[in-house]
Amino acid sequence: MSMSRMKFYCDEARCIQCDGCSIACAEAHQLPVGINRRKVITLNEGVQGKEFSISIACMHCTDAPCEQVCPVDCFYIREDGIVLHDKETCIGCGYCLYACPFGAPQFPRDGAFGIKGAMDKCTMCAGGPEETNSSKERQLYGQNRIAEGKVPMCAAMCSTKALIVGDGESISKIYRQRVTARGHGIQGMPYGWGTAY
Amino acid sequence: MKEFKVAKLLAYFLLTVSAAFAADNPIWGEGRITNILGYGKADSSGLGPLFTLLQSEYFSTIFLGILIGVPAIYLLHYLVIGPKSFPHGGKKIKIFSLFNRVVHQLAAVSFIVIVPTGFIMVFGSFFGGGEFVRLCKNLHGIFTIVFAIVVIPMFIMWIKDALFKFEDIKWMAIMGGYLSKKQKPIPAGKFNAGQKAWYWVATLGGMTMIITGAMMYLLDFNMSMLTSMTGLSQIDLLRLAAITHNIVGFLVVALFFTHIYMSVFGVKGAINSMIDGHKEEEEVRILHSTYYNKLKKEGKV
Repeated sequence: MSMSRMKFYCDEARCIQCDGCSIACAEAHQLPVGINRRKVITLNEGVQGKEFSISIACMHCTDAPCEQVCPVDCFYIREDGIVLHDKETCIGCGYCLYACPFGAPQFPRDGAFGIKGAMDKCTMCAGGPEETNSSKERQLYGQNRIAEGKVPMCAAMCSTKALIVGDGESISKIYRQRVTARGHGIQGMPYGWGTAY
Repeated sequence: MKEFKVAKLLAYFLLTVSAAFAADNPIWGEGRITNILGYGKADSSGLGPLFTLLQSEYFSTIFLGILIGVPAIYLLHYLVIGPKSFPHGGKKIKIFSLFNRVVHQLAAVSFIVIVPTGFIMVFGSFFGGGEFVRLCKNLHGIFTIVFAIVVIPMFIMWIKDALFKFEDIKWMAIMGGYLSKKQKPIPAGKFNAGQKAWYWVATLGGMTMIITGAMMYLLDFNMSMLTSMTGLSQIDLLRLAAITHNIVGFLVVALFFTHIYMSVFGVKGAINSMIDGHKEEEEVRILHSTYYNKLKKEGKV
C-alpha cells in the first residue's frame, strides 16, 4: 500500500488574515526574528469582491524544485510527501529559493560578514534528519509534532480552520464538503455554522 | 555615559532599519506576492522553471565536461604535437612592467582560489556538502574582493593591446600555429587572438561574474534600481544572475585552463614573462611577429 501524501490547504473563503498561524509557528519553533516559515498574504487588496487572504509556507511539492536544484543534495522527501532538508549539509547558496515558486526558503544571516547561513523553511512540524525529538533536532528544525501524532502548529491554531493539513484525500474530502455547503470562491457575506459545516 | 548614548542611538537606528527591511523586503516581504504570482504564468519571464531545468539537468554536467574535456584536449596536444620551446639564454625583451605583473598576480591568486572553490560548489554533493563546501563558498566570495580590486586596472592597462585586428582572423585560421611543429612567424601583436579572447572573457566576463555573484550574495537587498531598469521582479533577477553566473562560468574556466596550459606547459618558459617581465627574443619573433617587427622598427630590439 502506498502512503498518501501530506498536504496543506488554505481555504481562502475562511482565512480572516489574523496571522495566528505564522505567530504560532514562530513561537512553537522558537524562530529567530526575521524568519517567518509561514506568512499570510492578501491578494487583490481593496478590490471589492475579489480580496482574499491565504496562508503560505513551504507547499511540500510532489516534484519539489528545491530538491532538484540543490548542489549538495541536502533535501529529502519523506514517504508521506513531506519535503525536509539537512541543515548541516546545506551551504546556504540560495538556489532552492530561486527554484521555489512560493519563496519559501529563507536564509538567516550570521557572522560578521552577514554570510547566508543554512536555509530554514517549514518542516510541516516534522523536524529533520536528526534523531526524532532529540534536543539537536529541536534546536535546528523546531518541534517534531508529526512524530508525536499531533497536527502541525499552524493548522492546530487556525481559529477558522481555514488552514488544514493532512493526507491529500482527507483534505480534498473536507474541501469538497465545504464547497457543497457554501459554494465556491470568495465569500461576500458572513455565514454561520449552518453553512460552514 | 556619552558612549552609551551613542550605542543606544545606533541600536535604535539598526532596529528601525532592519524593521524597515522586513516590511518591504523584496523577497520575503511585500515583494513575495509579486514573486509568487509571476511564477509559471504564460506572460511571466519563465525564469523560475528555466533555472530549475538548467541547474538540475545541465549545469553540473557541462562543468564536468569542461573539467575533464579541456585538460584532456591539452594533454593530447602535449603528447601528439608537443609544446613550443625557444632557446633560453638568448636576448630577452622586457614585455611587462612591475605594475602589470602585480595586477596580474593578484588576479591570478584570486582565480586560483575562486575557480576550484566554484567547482567544489558545483559538485557539492560529491563532497558531501557541510562545513567544507560552506568554507569554499565563503572563500569564493572573499577572494572575489581581490579580483574586484584589480579587474579595472587590468581592463585599462591592456585594452589597447587587446582590441581585435584583422591579423587575428589569420591567427584563428591557423589556430595560432599550435597545430604544427614548425616554428615560423605567427601573425600576432603584443597579444595574440587567443590571449585577446581571454582578456575579454577575464575582464568583461569577470565583471559579469562579480556583479551576478554579488547579487546572489546580497540576495534580499533592495535592488529596486535594477528591477525598475529591467522590469523583472527581484527573484527573477536572482534567477537570471544564477543562470548567467553559470554560463559565463563555463567560458571563464575553459579559457582559464587554456591560459594555464599555454603559460605553464604549452610554451616552455612563457610563465617567466609574468615573473621577471621578460620574454625570450626568439619567442617574441615567432609567436608575436607583428609586435616583434614593430619593436624592431622602433629600434627597441
